[in-house]
Amino acid sequence: MTANWKRFLITGAVVAICALLPLLMEIGTHVMNLLLMLFIYIILSQSWNLMGGYAGQINLGLAAFFGCGVLATHFLWVAGVPIYLAVLVGGVVATVLAGIIGLPTLRLRGMYFAIGTFALAEALRVTVGNVFPRAVYMPSSYIVGYSYIPRYYLGLIIVIITLVTVYLVANSRLGLAMMAIRDDEQAAQVTGVNIFKYKVLALLISAFLAGLAGGVYAFFQLSFWQLSVVFSPIWTFEPLMATAIGGTGTLIGPVLGSIFLVVLSEIFALTLGEAHLIIFGVLFILVVLYFPYGLAGAVDRVRQVMVRVRRSKPKARGGVY
Amino acid sequence: MLEISHIDVYYGDLQALWDVSLTIGDGEIVTLIGSNGAGKSTTLKTISGLLKPKTGSINYDGIRLDKLPAHKVVELGICMVPEGRRLFPQMSVLENLEVGAFLRQARQVKGDTLNWVYEVFPVLRERFKQSAGTLSGGEQQMVAIGRALMSQPKLLLLDEISVGLSPLLVQEICRVIKDINKSRKLTIFLVEQNVRMALALADRGYIIESGRILDQGDAKALLNSDRVKDAYLGIGSAKESE
Amino acid sequence: METTIQIIAYGVIVGALYGLVAIGLALLMGVMKYLNIAHGTFIMLGGYVSFWIFTFWGINPYLSIPLVMLVMFLIGLIIYKLLLSSLLKLPYIGLRINNSMLITFGLIWVLDNAATLLWTGDVRSIVTSYTGETLNLFGIRLPYTGMAGLGLAVLVIFLLNLLLSKTYFGKAVRATTQDAEAATLAGINIHRTYLISCGIALALAGVAGVVVVLSYSVTPSGGLSWLLMALVVMVLAGEGKINAVLPAGLILGLVEAASVFVTGAAYREVVVLIMFILVLMFRPRGLFTRRAEGTQYDS
Repeated sequence: MTANWKRFLITGAVVAICALLPLLMEIGTHVMNLLLMLFIYIILSQSWNLMGGYAGQINLGLAAFFGCGVLATHFLWVAGVPIYLAVLVGGVVATVLAGIIGLPTLRLRGMYFAIGTFALAEALRVTVGNVFPRAVYMPSSYIVGYSYIPRYYLGLIIVIITLVTVYLVANSRLGLAMMAIRDDEQAAQVTGVNIFKYKVLALLISAFLAGLAGGVYAFFQLSFWQLSVVFSPIWTFEPLMATAIGGTGTLIGPVLGSIFLVVLSEIFALTLGEAHLIIFGVLFILVVLYFPYGLAGAVDRVRQVMVRVRRSKPKARGGVY
Repeated sequence: MLEISHIDVYYGDLQALWDVSLTIGDGEIVTLIGSNGAGKSTTLKTISGLLKPKTGSINYDGIRLDKLPAHKVVELGICMVPEGRRLFPQMSVLENLEVGAFLRQARQVKGDTLNWVYEVFPVLRERFKQSAGTLSGGEQQMVAIGRALMSQPKLLLLDEISVGLSPLLVQEICRVIKDINKSRKLTIFLVEQNVRMALALADRGYIIESGRILDQGDAKALLNSDRVKDAYLGIGSAKESE
Repeated sequence: METTIQIIAYGVIVGALYGLVAIGLALLMGVMKYLNIAHGTFIMLGGYVSFWIFTFWGINPYLSIPLVMLVMFLIGLIIYKLLLSSLLKLPYIGLRINNSMLITFGLIWVLDNAATLLWTGDVRSIVTSYTGETLNLFGIRLPYTGMAGLGLAVLVIFLLNLLLSKTYFGKAVRATTQDAEAATLAGINIHRTYLISCGIALALAGVAGVVVVLSYSVTPSGGLSWLLMALVVMVLAGEGKINAVLPAGLILGLVEAASVFVTGAAYREVVVLIMFILVLMFRPRGLFTRRAEGTQYDS
């Protein structure tokens, strides 16, 4: 029990620091951009992780939900709707879309869900690209008053909502059902778990979070040179990769992975530029092949070793965080 | 000659065989009998290379089998008829048999071997075009044995071939096995729950229980032994044999 | 009437290409239960190989097909050995499919971006004397490249069928697909079978790539839309049903042709998506599977 209190305390401290940061010091534009992208990646990674890491359903079209959130939020906000409401609606739109693709595909084997989400993202990308071929800008009145601070806080709030949501889900009956489905779908079915219902629930929550992330992005970005870019598969791949590297099925994994991703992108942007995605791809493949537990697993193992050193008696660990 | 020396076999962390040793001489019919889960199929799977022993060794005419991948074991002339027949359901009877002759040396004499198999199991000649998944249990068993024979084996491993067959069919198959053993000098190692059938057919037998060899000897002697009568034939006590 | 025939002609030509595009993906899925998401990328790769052969050596792309196939075959062997062979150890089919999806998804990133680095994002296509030329048959316009594509699709799938049904290797492939353990017991080296099948699957993607670079174009990221078509065709055909791939492609092509006529080309992918969803709702095992078959409810 003390371990839990300690974790809450640390998390609370981190959150407090993050919340007070912009008020205490002047954060440059560049760093702000990085932080906001970090927030978005954390939200998206947690979203992917909910389906992929906890429920074992691979979503290859996360970009569809993200993009919908962006579009919905953008058009509503430009039309005058207050940003927080617009972001919320963005999340809802993504959820509705998830229902449309989830209902037919989640009854079947995981592969169909992956194909279905991918097909959805691709269809949206190409169609939106055809229907809205020209660049989209924020109205000048919005640009003039642009400040990073509200965007930072919006991002931070959504990140906190996301982390709390995932934590609650993971520790609930829904989470238990999801993990049972992930580990052995047939066994779960035989023990009476309504796998379809839980898969759909997980998807709806996951899509909602992804939609919120889209809303944050819509608030953050000044312009889109092509609207279809928000449906680009990179918005699926980078969260997927961050989760895989950080460690699937854990709460801290996507956070670690996102930080890793953003930091690495920065380093590479200065030196290799375009090549960074290739390196990420290779890294990702290596992780899938050889390091299924990612950074969180490494952290866990270090912790285990340290506990053993401290007490010279191995402690049984059940799950991270 | 096949020599199994002191093998321990595991399924993951679960030990299934303890210190099992057997020998099978050329031209013999040897049987391994035991109840459900005793380790009979495990032994066959280890010989055929699907499982690897953690300790001990398996030698066939001086060659170490336990280091070889399963398809190489077949090349040495050891062919298993697996439990549950495991035919290729969407291929025809003929195609199943042809796949049995996959090895290069078997492929060259495919025509002759096929004729022989049709002689041994005439019903297959009639049904050669039929999809294997639609055959009856007995016919499937014949295809399974026929497929193994197509590889020109020197040692045939039979895993519970009596399962699901009528007593008449079982007798017929026993007759066939006896026949090919005599005419082709084909060594047979069969694993069975049907103790009476197995010991009537075999020259020698081993008894396995909970992964350990309990007894061995001449088949007829075993048939009359108290242990067998008691545990497996239900004679001598009120216990029902499996 | 004439319009209808034109639509049908367009649909058949496009549909045959869809079948050709999907056949490599379906083969890999059927034999090994691997879902190769990078399939579209390999199609692009095949197109690029043909493009560079044409650009540097002036070899007619149709004649370069055997060379393209060879190159892609070798790449397939490498991909299998490096990445996919370890997946065989996984016990559940579901796990195998999931992991192959993830690994090949990563492969898209490596290959697409490598292609961008090497060859730039420029749109490439092979323009020959007959590009864009059409045959006018009773007022119906039939593009030469399209008809060649149709011919190739039929030929390639026919040859594949011959390979699978008449040769011993083909029997090994089918046996391994139906019961891998029993195949091993018959002396078949299933690892070698899988290895070669992977090579063949990529070679098939290569042929599709040649047709694509002639009839359309290739770009580093262009593989994704072809992947979408291949996936939908594979689902329409039913898992592992190689023979149903061409008919399924034709159906998709005809549906697309009809929808383009009605709603215009901008909503092509939406139509495909809707079709996909409808099939999943009503005939999830594929349009050509009888009720009793199909195992996609297993994990």
